[in-house]
Amino acid sequence: MSVGHVQRAVEAAGIPTVGVYVASFGHIPGLMGVARALVTQHPMGRPLGAPHDAERQRAVVRRSLDLLSASEQTITDYGEAYRIP
Amino acid sequence: MDKPESIEDLRRSFSYGSRSNLNFKFLKDLSDEEFGHFLEQLLAAVDSSMDDGDATGAIDVAFRWQVQGYSGHLGDPAEFRHRHDDVPLATMSKPLNESRVALITSSGHFIDGDDPQPFGEPSMSQQEAEDRIQEFLREAPTLSAIPFDAPSEQLRVRHGGYPVRAAATDHQVALPIGHLQALRDEGIIGDLVPDAYSFVGAASQLRIQRDAGPAWAEQLKDIGTDVALFVPV
Repeated sequence: MSVGHVQRAVEAAGIPTVGVYVASFGHIPGLMGVARALVTQHPMGRPLGAPHDAERQRAVVRRSLDLLSASEQTITDYGEAYRIP
Repeated sequence: MDKPESIEDLRRSFSYGSRSNLNFKFLKDLSDEEFGHFLEQLLAAVDSSMDDGDATGAIDVAFRWQVQGYSGHLGDPAEFRHRHDDVPLATMSKPLNESRVALITSSGHFIDGDDPQPFGEPSMSQQEAEDRIQEFLREAPTLSAIPFDAPSEQLRVRHGGYPVRAAATDHQVALPIGHLQALRDEGIIGDLVPDAYSFVGAASQLRIQRDAGPAWAEQLKDIGTDVALFVPV
């Protein structure tokens, strides 16, 4: 919830935001009214991917940044299953 | 004679109890029946891994039940304590390749020499942070600034609310400072603000909503942030 509060405040201050949420907290963006979220199928504590899976981490960051131009609430599932490189 | 441990006692012991394991603290929220299914599936997956050495199945079982533990036991969404029915929405003023990007994660990272020293204690261990989780949940969070070019050997992470081993092994699982630098260098994003930010998300929700969130939003505006990437853990 912490990031949901901050993300809302930053968006309300006029700065577009996007958050990367793990599936266990995939309900947070909708319930808290967060503007944009990418939900990853990763375990808690590894939101962008497994340690040293630079390819996945980078792809998640890229995909999340692509959501910033959305002008309505957007909550998208990244989709790919967690993997150990 | 001590009372025998119940299944509920066993489930709860993984959440800051005698068997504390932050990857599995969700077990406290499962029903006893669900806990039985979890164990059955986990043992079957471990059984399978004994012959092929592939732990993917066990990881998947742990992941799926973690999701069930958190998302499957919310109760009535209308009663969700931090529910908001409005959605603040801002509009990009320029394309991404001209925008200055900020990064804020709730991972609990900080740079060596800039320990936020919770409760005034220097060099608190991860174990102590877990042991004092209830105190953290009553306190205001501290925002730690981390230069985007900080060397990984100077990064520290401590957070009593989630399993930090992955974030300690490779900070970019939650603090993607290197990836954002690369995207800037490739021209995908325009620029980065001077520092990335991290805080311990296990803090007073009231203080975050009322004080820290609005204050940090002003801070991001003051340093010329065009868009912000958030990474909760």
